[in-house]
Amino acid sequence: MSGHDHPKAIGGAIMDPLMKLLLAIFGISLVVMLYRFFAGIGPVSNMTDGYAWGIWEPINVVVFTGIGAGAYSVGLLCYLLNNGRYHPFVRPAVLLGAIAYSLGGSSIIIALGRYWNAYLLGAVPFWNLNSVLLEVAVCVISYVCVLWVEVLPAVMDGAARSGSPGFAAWGKKWGPRLASAMPYIIALAIVLPTMHQSSLGGLMLIAGPKLHPLWHTGLLPFLALVSCLSMGYGAVVVLTTVLKYAWKAKHDQELFADMSKVNGGLLFLFAAARVGELAVHGKLKYLAVPDFHLFFFVLEMALFLVPAFMFFSSKVQRDRGRLFGAALMTVAAGALWRVDTYLTAFNGGPGWNYWPSLGEVAVTVGMAALGMAVFVLVSRLFPVVVVEDVHQTSVGAGRVRAAASR
Amino acid sequence: MQISRRSLLKGAAAAGAAVALTGKAEAREKMEPRPDAVGMLYDSTKCVGCRACVTKCKEANGLPYDRGNGAIYDAPADLSSTTKNIIKVASSGEKSAFMKQQCMHCVDPSCVSVCMMGALHKEGEGTRKIDGEKKGTGIVLYDKNTCVGCRYCQIACAYVVPKFEWNAAFPLIVKCELCRHRGDPKQEGPLAVANPACCEVCPREAVIYGKREDLLAEAKRRIAADPQRYNGQVYGEREGGGTQVLYLAGAGIKFEELGLPKLPEESSAHFSESVSHAPYLHGITPIALFATAAFVIRRNKKKEEAEHHGEGT
Repeated sequence: MSGHDHPKAIGGAIMDPLMKLLLAIFGISLVVMLYRFFAGIGPVSNMTDGYAWGIWEPINVVVFTGIGAGAYSVGLLCYLLNNGRYHPFVRPAVLLGAIAYSLGGSSIIIALGRYWNAYLLGAVPFWNLNSVLLEVAVCVISYVCVLWVEVLPAVMDGAARSGSPGFAAWGKKWGPRLASAMPYIIALAIVLPTMHQSSLGGLMLIAGPKLHPLWHTGLLPFLALVSCLSMGYGAVVVLTTVLKYAWKAKHDQELFADMSKVNGGLLFLFAAARVGELAVHGKLKYLAVPDFHLFFFVLEMALFLVPAFMFFSSKVQRDRGRLFGAALMTVAAGALWRVDTYLTAFNGGPGWNYWPSLGEVAVTVGMAALGMAVFVLVSRLFPVVVVEDVHQTSVGAGRVRAAASR
Repeated sequence: MQISRRSLLKGAAAAGAAVALTGKAEAREKMEPRPDAVGMLYDSTKCVGCRACVTKCKEANGLPYDRGNGAIYDAPADLSSTTKNIIKVASSGEKSAFMKQQCMHCVDPSCVSVCMMGALHKEGEGTRKIDGEKKGTGIVLYDKNTCVGCRYCQIACAYVVPKFEWNAAFPLIVKCELCRHRGDPKQEGPLAVANPACCEVCPREAVIYGKREDLLAEAKRRIAADPQRYNGQVYGEREGGGTQVLYLAGAGIKFEELGLPKLPEESSAHFSESVSHAPYLHGITPIALFATAAFVIRRNKKKEEAEHHGEGT
């Protein structure tokens, strides 16, 4: 085996200050969530009959899974278009996806009023196939399972290399078996996100009378699909850059630049489809109304177009910091479009106003903190991240062995 | 690299084109009012705002009185999880008019279209067989046993009708079910399937219950008999695909002023379902996509293994 491009467990102390901080933040949200199960959703949130989803659905589900789409977008490049160069991105992206989707899914349980009936989603005869949310629910649950299966090769890899004989035998036995099934699992990991990511846009098709015309369009599913790919590529660049500074993760600027050019194309495609739709349906007149919807529209367009141009500039492509900034902007662009579609452009009806409560924010932030904690934990214990040079981190290498034998 | 980027963009463009094309080709059929559909007709010009219907509704549905803000009698300000029916006064300038709000029992309801497991459903047309439900009345009913409390119905309803019990640990969705539980099988005609308390108690027949087609004919008869009295339209005949609760408003009063949204003739459910279903081509697309992806990935993997010798995953 050539050790050249292989991921390594990071090792190191599990309970470092960062981990303690993340768990403390999650602890606060845990209190809010427990209280919600006794008192109902009203006391912990500012949700009303007009704004029935608050920020939990738009951010915890729609934005989190957009970020988690890195697994989908990198998978497309690496496996379907057979660009093996992108392999180092796959494991971190898949782990990010598995975590983000699991958090999105579990946030929903907190938000569901009658969560104890959710088991019925497994009963096919009860399915209302006209419900876009049913498609999202069933598809996301399946995809969470697929994503964790995709994480397993890293775990088995770690097991096979571990010092414990039983664990190593398990890894050596099941690793190759899983590897032969992987093409079918990866194919599922491409079909399922294609379906539910477009549905995350399709969810708001029905809200036509309540959604601002600049956001309501038959293209919602298509726009959501394009935006998840672009958020995914952005999130992978952001993640890998952060990992470089945190753990000296391998960092290939040229690879980043090439992937970002794909992202630039997607951003242009999104902006063109959006503006084209407005022109075709005679909705450009709404751009002449200076209200806060126009502010958000212009902000969105800037967040989509500025990084799109940046990605094609050779100056940005060579500069790690600028490319990171542009990638961060693409994540923000997709996130803002999603939040606008679900919240700011949504009119809950006369007399209804909404601003998130501290409890709602605590749950959203706590879920994000938990996500980071799980990412750090798994990367420390199992080979997920491709590290730049093993010899430079000889102290870490000792820990790797220690961690792997756990 | 050049090739893969181009092909990715090509793929995305093709997907977009496919969505646009099939969206046109495969719209689902328009839903027509059921011949035996029942509903209500509210005539704003006859209502005197006595609110007897609000109180009677609470009695008939076992809902608590709302005596918030120091009120000495039931005085809700809006529809809520304890108020399924309400009378409001709408005023613009010197004119004012009464307005009754409750579930519209749409011909093609958004709440039914979005409900994941058919908790909100047209009577007898849900996913689950429920004893005593007869298909054809078009009444939108709630089945708490299949509701997960996702509140998509609240997002979808253009009339902001479904309400949620925000302060309950085990909450329900609450909305008017046309007093179906007060129907008397021994009676003839519409009273056999439902008997809305609000219509029964109204002293001025400002709101009446009956078969939708009879109510629509009655509304048009009233307009024809006294054209000066009305604004000339029947709200709910076509708005949002039609509703089973119909409205008449006084001359010079627009329905929007009464709080009824201006809706296109196409129902939101029709639009949403047509656009959402089209790219699936009756389920062929996901299967074809899976088969293609699995084939390509397997081939690529074999190629890679041949080149690198045993470098998996």
